[in-house]
Amino acid sequence: MIRHAFTAMGTEVELLFDAEDSSLLREVEAEFRRLETVLSRFRPDSELSRLNEAGAGEVGPDLLEAIELAVAARARSGGRFDPTVHDAVLAAGYDRSFELLEGAGPEAARPQARVGGMIEIDRPAGHVALEPGFRLDLGGIAKGWAADRALAVLANVGPALVNAGGDVAARGRMWTIAVEAGGGEVTLGLEEGGVATSGRDRRAWMRDGKARHHLIDPVTGLPAESDIVTVTVAAGSACEAEVLAKALFLAGDSRRAVDEADLAEIPTVLTTSTGEVLLAGGLQ
Amino acid sequence: MTTDHAPRLYALAGSILGLFLAWAGIAAHPWAQTASSATPTSAALEAYTRRLNADAALVAALSGRRLATPSVRVVTLPPLTTTRTS
Repeated sequence: MIRHAFTAMGTEVELLFDAEDSSLLREVEAEFRRLETVLSRFRPDSELSRLNEAGAGEVGPDLLEAIELAVAARARSGGRFDPTVHDAVLAAGYDRSFELLEGAGPEAARPQARVGGMIEIDRPAGHVALEPGFRLDLGGIAKGWAADRALAVLANVGPALVNAGGDVAARGRMWTIAVEAGGGEVTLGLEEGGVATSGRDRRAWMRDGKARHHLIDPVTGLPAESDIVTVTVAAGSACEAEVLAKALFLAGDSRRAVDEADLAEIPTVLTTSTGEVLLAGGLQ
Repeated sequence: MTTDHAPRLYALAGSILGLFLAWAGIAAHPWAQTASSATPTSAALEAYTRRLNADAALVAALSGRRLATPSVRVVTLPPLTTTRTS
């Protein structure tokens, strides 16, 4: 088995590949870097940053597809997943890539921002228009989507797994994936599909003496308050798992998240602030 | 001696009229009309059929969703990779 790791989209990407031909790995790495130039909100020259700056305009097929996926995810999750959290994330203090954020000093507080802006998509024209006052952050979907695309390339040749900073897409045989839960680990065996984790154990920081994290509650526009620390979900794809993990994290509390996972049959591993590990959605 | 034909003619006319009425009655298929009318039994049968069809559609939809659910379970094997907050 070939193992190849590199850094892209602000995270470490790992490729596991059951085949002899390693040339595809370079191709996948190049594709990750290209998608970063399209989807990153931290790069002022990215296509997404240009759209956010202009508020409307023609976009390329990759950005168009990512925005369409995000809009569909917002509808499916009842608004818990929302790509218009950009300014709310900035207001919470996540205004630069996380490596830079960790070493940054205190900054003046930004005004609280709204979430839930309109996004108009004209697919035939390749045109997107944002409601004035709203900008897009595709960080909640981009890595999972990129992992799914990379897997589609690799799996043409043999069994493969793509792990984009925790968003895992796998196919071809049973892959074992460790889930950090309650100070220990739960290992999942995944034959085909995706696994993703959302939580406040990482990408968290202090601002004005308060602990902040990157998961914004669209209702309040503030980092979500919950007894949930992490939610790991398995789904048909990494992109879908990423959306479902965020939606369950934003359920309000661990009991409700478990009920929802059971009802919708979403395989879920959840860690609470007391260190309790809960399995739901058919896992046992 | 003359024969009085009037009663025979009346009897013949009555027989023809009776035969006509019987034919008309049979040709009208009154039993068929009775079967297609909405009796409580047939209405219940139709409702039951509709419910079965709806249940079949629901089962098909749920089966489709189950197929889309990933094949995943908790295992005790050593992990090849790790998922964490992304």
